[in-house]
Amino acid sequence: MASISLLNPKAEFARAAQALAINISAAKGLQDVMRTNLGPKGTVKMLVSGAGDIKITKDGNVLLHDMQIQHPTASMIARASTAQDDSTGDGTTTTVMLIGELLKQADIYLTEGLHPRIMTEGFEKARDKALEVLDKVKVPVEINKKNLMEIANTSLKTKVHPTLADLLTEVCVDAVLTISNEKMLPVDLHMVELMEMQHKTDTDTQLVRGLVMDHGARHPDMPKRLEKAYILTANVSLEYEKAEVNSGFFYKTATEREAFVRAEREFIDQRVKKVIELKRAVCDGTDKTFVLINQKGIDPISLDALAKEGILALRRAKRRNMERLALACGGTAMNSFDDLQEEHLGYAGSVYEHVLGENKYTFVEDCKNPLSVTILIKGPNKHTITQIKDAIRDGLRAINNTIGDKALIPGAGAFEVRAYNELTLFKDTIKGKARLAVQAFADALLVIPKTLAINSGYDAQDTIVKLTVEDRLSPELVGLDLATGEPMKPTDLGVYDNYIVKKQILHSCSIIASNLLLVDEVMRAGMTSLKG
Amino acid sequence: MDHTREILTFQFGTYANYVGAHFWNQQEANFVYDGESSNVAEEHLPHNDILYREGVNDRKQATFTPRLLSVDLVGTLMHLPVVGELYGNYLPLATDQTADELQKAKELAEQNKLSTHGELDVRQQPAATISEYQQDLLKNTVNTQDKDYNLAETCSSWADFLYARYHPRTFNVLQGMLQQPDVQVLGSHCSGVELWQSAAFNEDFCDRIRLYAEECNGLQGFQLLFDIDDGFGGLASKCMEHLNDEYNRAIFALPLHYPRNMSYAKADTRTSRSIRVVNSVLSYKHLSEQANLFTPLSTLETIWRNQTLESRRMPGVNWLADNLYQSSAVLAAYLDTVTLGYRLRQTPNTLLSFCERVTPANRKLGAAALALPLGMQREQDLIDFLDGPDGSLMTQLTPGCDPGTTHVVQSVVARGIPDARLKRPLEQAGSQISKAAYRCNSVSQMLQLYYQCAYHSSLTHAASTPLPLKTHLPFPYEIFDASIAADGFKLPGDGQRERDTRVASAPALAAVQNSSKLGTHLDSLHDQTHRVQLAKLRNFSQVALERDEYDSALDRILEFRDNYEDSHYL
Repeated sequence: MASISLLNPKAEFARAAQALAINISAAKGLQDVMRTNLGPKGTVKMLVSGAGDIKITKDGNVLLHDMQIQHPTASMIARASTAQDDSTGDGTTTTVMLIGELLKQADIYLTEGLHPRIMTEGFEKARDKALEVLDKVKVPVEINKKNLMEIANTSLKTKVHPTLADLLTEVCVDAVLTISNEKMLPVDLHMVELMEMQHKTDTDTQLVRGLVMDHGARHPDMPKRLEKAYILTANVSLEYEKAEVNSGFFYKTATEREAFVRAEREFIDQRVKKVIELKRAVCDGTDKTFVLINQKGIDPISLDALAKEGILALRRAKRRNMERLALACGGTAMNSFDDLQEEHLGYAGSVYEHVLGENKYTFVEDCKNPLSVTILIKGPNKHTITQIKDAIRDGLRAINNTIGDKALIPGAGAFEVRAYNELTLFKDTIKGKARLAVQAFADALLVIPKTLAINSGYDAQDTIVKLTVEDRLSPELVGLDLATGEPMKPTDLGVYDNYIVKKQILHSCSIIASNLLLVDEVMRAGMTSLKG
Repeated sequence: MDHTREILTFQFGTYANYVGAHFWNQQEANFVYDGESSNVAEEHLPHNDILYREGVNDRKQATFTPRLLSVDLVGTLMHLPVVGELYGNYLPLATDQTADELQKAKELAEQNKLSTHGELDVRQQPAATISEYQQDLLKNTVNTQDKDYNLAETCSSWADFLYARYHPRTFNVLQGMLQQPDVQVLGSHCSGVELWQSAAFNEDFCDRIRLYAEECNGLQGFQLLFDIDDGFGGLASKCMEHLNDEYNRAIFALPLHYPRNMSYAKADTRTSRSIRVVNSVLSYKHLSEQANLFTPLSTLETIWRNQTLESRRMPGVNWLADNLYQSSAVLAAYLDTVTLGYRLRQTPNTLLSFCERVTPANRKLGAAALALPLGMQREQDLIDFLDGPDGSLMTQLTPGCDPGTTHVVQSVVARGIPDARLKRPLEQAGSQISKAAYRCNSVSQMLQLYYQCAYHSSLTHAASTPLPLKTHLPFPYEIFDASIAADGFKLPGDGQRERDTRVASAPALAAVQNSSKLGTHLDSLHDQTHRVQLAKLRNFSQVALERDEYDSALDRILEFRDNYEDSHYL
């Protein structure tokens, strides 16, 4: 009898073994759901909701979000996996798999009477050792296009078809390299705009070295295409807001009110005039043209005045695009038109509009030295675009991680096999029952190569035996070749994982698993909210 | 300037979406299509472009959809796809070819190399149940005359009776928050605030606002409907802050109270009440700072401490007090009527002038009042009706306050009274001619005069349109008494409407009122706060509500209440 039931007879509770069983079965269940997603050969899921919404994904994180998990333990694991995604952008499926497997392995020993506390202590030692191994096997890399291509390609191949992955790899790496400007430091990924266009097919996805905006000119007479354009970015209202004028307290007569309105209007007209003056100063007599991109609104009268001068004006630009424009085209985003100079202007070789149904897009291209770029995602429908967007995000993160780590880990399960072998040796140096836990940890790691093999249609045991034997003989790391089912050297094929991702996984999985193991009582009590 | 003066509407929360669904249904019921003759003159119709946008979908069909952003929990959309039904991008599940469509979508995705190695693994959730009304709507066989869909009892979400169709930008579903029948999932104001600040929600939502605003040539402001009892109040509060920062336009906010006592996770009745009070306090603080006018709406008589759920009663209609479908229709009728004040074609009024007219001396809290149906008898003229027995024409819809009859500032809109029913022509006038009101030539003039006489030293702005409120399906036509005729006027004597005829339209009168007496509404909120033990509210301590924040909100409300002191006004 749990003590809680003395205080609250309605409380539900589960103790010791039973509590553990609840947690383990939840973890296993989640693992089963995610199992088929792992690796390049994992299946992609198409989710159709009860209302007909379509979502195509393989991203563990997206799947977890979509499943509306209610089980408390499962949702705890799901949250760990989401945290993994937030901090590194990859490894969500692996996290869930590993937590499930750690609990599964632990269960075997626990049923034989091992205390959970000893188990968790062993896990800690094993984790430290595994991290040591991770540091030993990491391959320092030079940050160049080839290496970045390899890591991005490994990440993307697990998300989409290889031919598409190759295309996206090129796009992602070019994007990061362009904005990193040869500094080889991690970049601000916000400076890569992802713009979607429901149009053509996904193989038309491309990198635009400039900016694409999801809105266009709102005046029929404005030019649709401009060459050699000066770009003025601004955050200045060019619309006449009737604010406070109406309330009737300010004026006695109608003429007074008229005067007030005119004065107000004049104020806006002055601003427009300043822009037009600048345009005349820099463009007249040359073949240059002028574009105004404003974060605030521009009303029809101002648009009209600008259109008469041949200025292309866009209103209500994204706040972040102000920063991006300054980086892509040069110039400064202006907060007032009081002191406009030529040096405040940016420059783009061509600016043009593209209309798709009710949506307009404005391309700002051919910038001299763009430090902000746009990946233009195309696809025939929304769910295709969404999936590519997710894949590209992960690809970009992988590249950025690599630049940050300056190191990679050989992929295709190679690290897990090596860690298994090392841990098996390490186990013998441990005294007492904790060594069982180390063994459990080692066994659990193998779930990654095992699942990779199963998803590709090979026999799990067969593969593991081959890999572990091969690994012991070879000083270099050995991974699984998914095409043949035979061991191979990941470094030869260019299959790499991010160091930070693996490190994060080892940390979070062992902690969550330990926490779940130490739970010896699960209870549901508290005040009932059900009408009572 | 002759361009459209657009208004953007927001709906935060489930009940807000109920009211909104009725509101948009009402708009579409009043559309006049080309070639159709209407007995209401052009200039008396609402200007639809204010609330609606024209668009083109991917099949090159023209669309006309509300400028609307709606936020709700997972599961409230029922059979509606998140992307709306007009722009594709979903599988039509109601038709027989679902399997084919699914196969096609799957093949297309495979062709597009979305799968890592060819095959896609399809996981289909069971199709959502579609209400009978929606099924008939799909088949285009809705029978508004005879068929009884019994929506009041069968409707489980606002999607069940939504006639209007929305743009793909409209719906925002809060991922991971599944609607639960008896517990409010997004419980506290603070969790709403937190949600607004989360990058996943914020970026996307602000971008949608921006896209709507970019389309507008002369955006005049925003209408916000939101549930104030739960976390959606926090979401709306932050949204108003954002709107003021970015757009600086008029905001007309309508906080809605559920017609039942909501419960929250891990809270008993008592705690639930405290949570409601604290949610209101925090929302009122933001409303008093951010909105230009806010009018709390509820069909309940009082809130915060209304254990028996005493509901308002309106002569001529009877709704089930805690029925969301019916009560929201009453609130939507109010909203539609009162907003006509700035939505009619050729009206010189803007949202801003509308708000400012009834908020003297910063009294931003206004009270709502509605008469539905108006209570005029068939064959009776307005002049005689207004001359009838004393007493207020309207019923209050703002809980816990009554603006009284002196020193009232109000904006009144009357609808559905044809000009012919104003008064008799001179030759048949009879006793009417002796009344002062006989000079009036329009409904609005007459109302103005009426309120001049009836309300001591008050300021009334009246507007009117002969366009009645359409009360056929999906409006709950069943709430009308038998004494109301099919055209919404009262039958004389004990006359009864024939059993199988339904009320198809009704005249209505709605007002936003303001007077010193509204201070009692704020007082009653403040009184309730004495019972709140903040430390006990676990819901709030989880998502850190700082004691200071709460105290400063309370101070702010007291300060705001001072605006309602008599000495503050003129």
